[in-house]
Amino acid sequence: MDMNADELYPIAILMDELKSEDVERRLNAIHRISTIALALGPERARDELIPFLQDSVDDEDEVLLALAAELGQSFEDYLGGPDFAYLLLGPLETLAAVEETLVRDKATESATKIAGVLNQQQLEEYFVPLLKRLSQGEWFTSRTSSASLYSPIYERVSDQIKEEMRRGFTALANDDTPMVRRAAGKWLGPFVEKIAKEHILTDALPIYRKLANDDQDSVRLLTIQDLIVIAKKLGPKDTKEQLLGQLRSSVSDKSWRVRYMVANHFVELAEAVGSEIVNEELVVAFVQLLKDNEAEVRTAGAGQIPGFAKLVDREIIVSKILPCVRDLASDSSQHVRAALALHVTGLAALVGKESTVDDLLPIFLQLLKDEFPDVRLNIIGKLDVDTCQVIGVELLSSSLLPAIYELAEDKQWRVRQAIIEYIPLLATQLGKPFFDDQLSALCLAWLGDNVYSIRESAIQNLKKLTAVFGEDWARTQVLPKLVSMGQHPNYLFRITAVLAIPVIAPILSQESNQELMAKVLFPLMTDPIPNIRFNVAKSLEVMAQQVAQTPEGCELGRASIIPAVERLKNDSDMDVRYFANRALQKTVQLVGA
Amino acid sequence: MSELDRQIAQLKACQPISEAEVKSLCLKAREILVEEANVQYIDSPVTICGDIHGQFFDLLELFKVGGWCPETNYLFMGDFVDRGFYSVETFLLLLALKVRYPDRITLIRGNHESRQITQVYGFYDECTRKYGSANVWRYCCEVFDYLALAAIVDGSVFCVHGGLSPNVNLIDHIRTIDRKQEVPHDGPMCDLLWSDPEDINGWGLSPRGAGFLFGGDAVRQFARANDVDLIARAHQLAMEGFKHLFDRMIVTVWSAPNYCYRCGNVASILELDDTLRQEYKVFGHAPSDVRSVPIKRPPAEYFL
Repeated sequence: MDMNADELYPIAILMDELKSEDVERRLNAIHRISTIALALGPERARDELIPFLQDSVDDEDEVLLALAAELGQSFEDYLGGPDFAYLLLGPLETLAAVEETLVRDKATESATKIAGVLNQQQLEEYFVPLLKRLSQGEWFTSRTSSASLYSPIYERVSDQIKEEMRRGFTALANDDTPMVRRAAGKWLGPFVEKIAKEHILTDALPIYRKLANDDQDSVRLLTIQDLIVIAKKLGPKDTKEQLLGQLRSSVSDKSWRVRYMVANHFVELAEAVGSEIVNEELVVAFVQLLKDNEAEVRTAGAGQIPGFAKLVDREIIVSKILPCVRDLASDSSQHVRAALALHVTGLAALVGKESTVDDLLPIFLQLLKDEFPDVRLNIIGKLDVDTCQVIGVELLSSSLLPAIYELAEDKQWRVRQAIIEYIPLLATQLGKPFFDDQLSALCLAWLGDNVYSIRESAIQNLKKLTAVFGEDWARTQVLPKLVSMGQHPNYLFRITAVLAIPVIAPILSQESNQELMAKVLFPLMTDPIPNIRFNVAKSLEVMAQQVAQTPEGCELGRASIIPAVERLKNDSDMDVRYFANRALQKTVQLVGA
Repeated sequence: MSELDRQIAQLKACQPISEAEVKSLCLKAREILVEEANVQYIDSPVTICGDIHGQFFDLLELFKVGGWCPETNYLFMGDFVDRGFYSVETFLLLLALKVRYPDRITLIRGNHESRQITQVYGFYDECTRKYGSANVWRYCCEVFDYLALAAIVDGSVFCVHGGLSPNVNLIDHIRTIDRKQEVPHDGPMCDLLWSDPEDINGWGLSPRGAGFLFGGDAVRQFARANDVDLIARAHQLAMEGFKHLFDRMIVTVWSAPNYCYRCGNVASILELDDTLRQEYKVFGHAPSDVRSVPIKRPPAEYFL
């Protein structure tokens, strides 16, 4: 790129910005660093910019974070291509050693991307020495960073270096600082993925055992995921020989945080170790975790119930797991019960119809009566069509409905909202006659809720119900309600009626919409509250769109909507005039003057 | 959609508008506010709100409970800014609504709508952090000087941020104040924004160092002299969201739930319907899955 003094000038400014006293300006400059590099051209970017960046690594964390990120975004393109990507490793190495974790993580992430564009020779010449320096760094920060850089390059270096790398990682696992051992625990899994099976037995297993028996539970808990990876790589036979002891001790670790991790990854773990260990060991272990003293562990375990049940025989589900499920349904912790309620219905398909009715139904019913709203909401939300059919409408009405009524009156409006959102699904399952008997009144009552969002959801709900049950249902249930609300002495009822109309009008017939205009909108044009009048104008605008679809409708629009909004256009209130004007313009456009 | 409607939509998403947009918004706001009286007359129905203090996501929660503007009419009794993390977005959203719907929303001044206070309690720093200079803070402070000092609903509910002043017996006295200035350290304008009701006789010194404490007799006398049925004010945290005093002659309305993200209180708004019937709507803070506290660092890895 040709350069003259004029073009260099902005670069000088940007370089100055990088040296500015003001953090914001330096940050800004870092985000434009690729522009600087592009303007400098590859050669000067390599010779001047990179050394400059290398020197500016003594800055605020925010600036360093931005720099670490920028260098990973194919920055080598500005240096002359992949051949020069190794130059970026210099600043990144320094960034990978700073105190702030965020900066280090971003630096290693960028370094990993750069590793991807280096060839084997460059890896060995530049990246491996960097990895060694970081791994043996004096301060724990660089050693911590190094752990993540083993897996990206391992497969692409010579056997001799591979061996050195396995030794290097072993050293990290034996580090004095728990932070480094934690990093080793976190990155052992990805590293193991790349290692050949023979070396897993000779090197990775000892590393794993060391970490899994660490003094610090914060290290041990990270090894559960390593265990899963190793088991997958080894296959069932070697897993049984090599990992069974460790698996047992993790399940009954004295720290509940480790047991939590086991419980939380239980299905994954079971899938990795194979069916023999599942049946011989893990069923007992799972039962043990579901009876754990710590509620967190039981909560995590409850989430794994259907997933784990899929891996065992129906007999075992009924004899071993169901008794635990029964206990969990009356667990002292509401969070455990809530987690159970969210997952327990998944068992229905696994145990079959008879056992669902005999064993699961009592549990469902108990959860539906739980004192904690989230438990009830969770179970209601999970009762799908199949489960409802198994339970039968009669049992449903005696157990599900009381739960719904109670949630419908919960003092937390978000609970009420959650139940409203579930109603359309329930409507499809229950059918119109049952719904009209039991739930229609409730749905209409929500229109008078004292929280605006609930009234809004209630309106949406009526629209969805109309879509399920059809126009006739709306004409007998919804329209009379809106008409009477439009005449209510309380203005909040009147305005809700007006706000409902534009929402449901699009799915109603011309006839219904005409009725709504005549009985609700037109009478409210002279309402004393201006908010109602301008919403009438807004609603008429939507009505115009509806009627404009037919020639008769257009005629109706010209005959009744246009005169109405013309009257509102001369209202005393500014907002009424504004929305009436807008409605008039739209209406004229749609139906003609 | 008009430019202003777009800005409102953007601010509702908690994204600040540009500095140039702030400048022109503040200019338009001043044109509207300068026409308002020191004691602005408003009509029922109206929903009265207390301190917000930059808790933007809780302000959205307020609108979810009370309804959006312009469908619902609002009166905000000051202290829009400071302490919370989103004073910029909070004040600019309210101001943009004011400019878009001047008859649907009324903003009156709180003691935090001041140059001195905002430099100490966060708004100044937030402006410089989000815009890189103090310009936005300066534009906003100029708007503060134009905000009305009080409001009166249908002639019978008197609304003010702090409370009464020993130097103001009649609402008409407030009308004689030249309000277009920084909040003074004493005098009637200062008292209206700083005073607190207290279970005492007459008047007392305020521990805040500005304004006064005023007792039930002062409230009754003011109400009688001005033919007022209720005084609504904000300014003090009420753990239950609102608090009546002196035979329900005065009420404190507090609209910042979990104040400063740690007080554990609920908030409320006062809905006055078209017959001035009072309904207090109590609400909690926004659920934690919507962002209520900005995260500088990502949460630590589980348990570490």
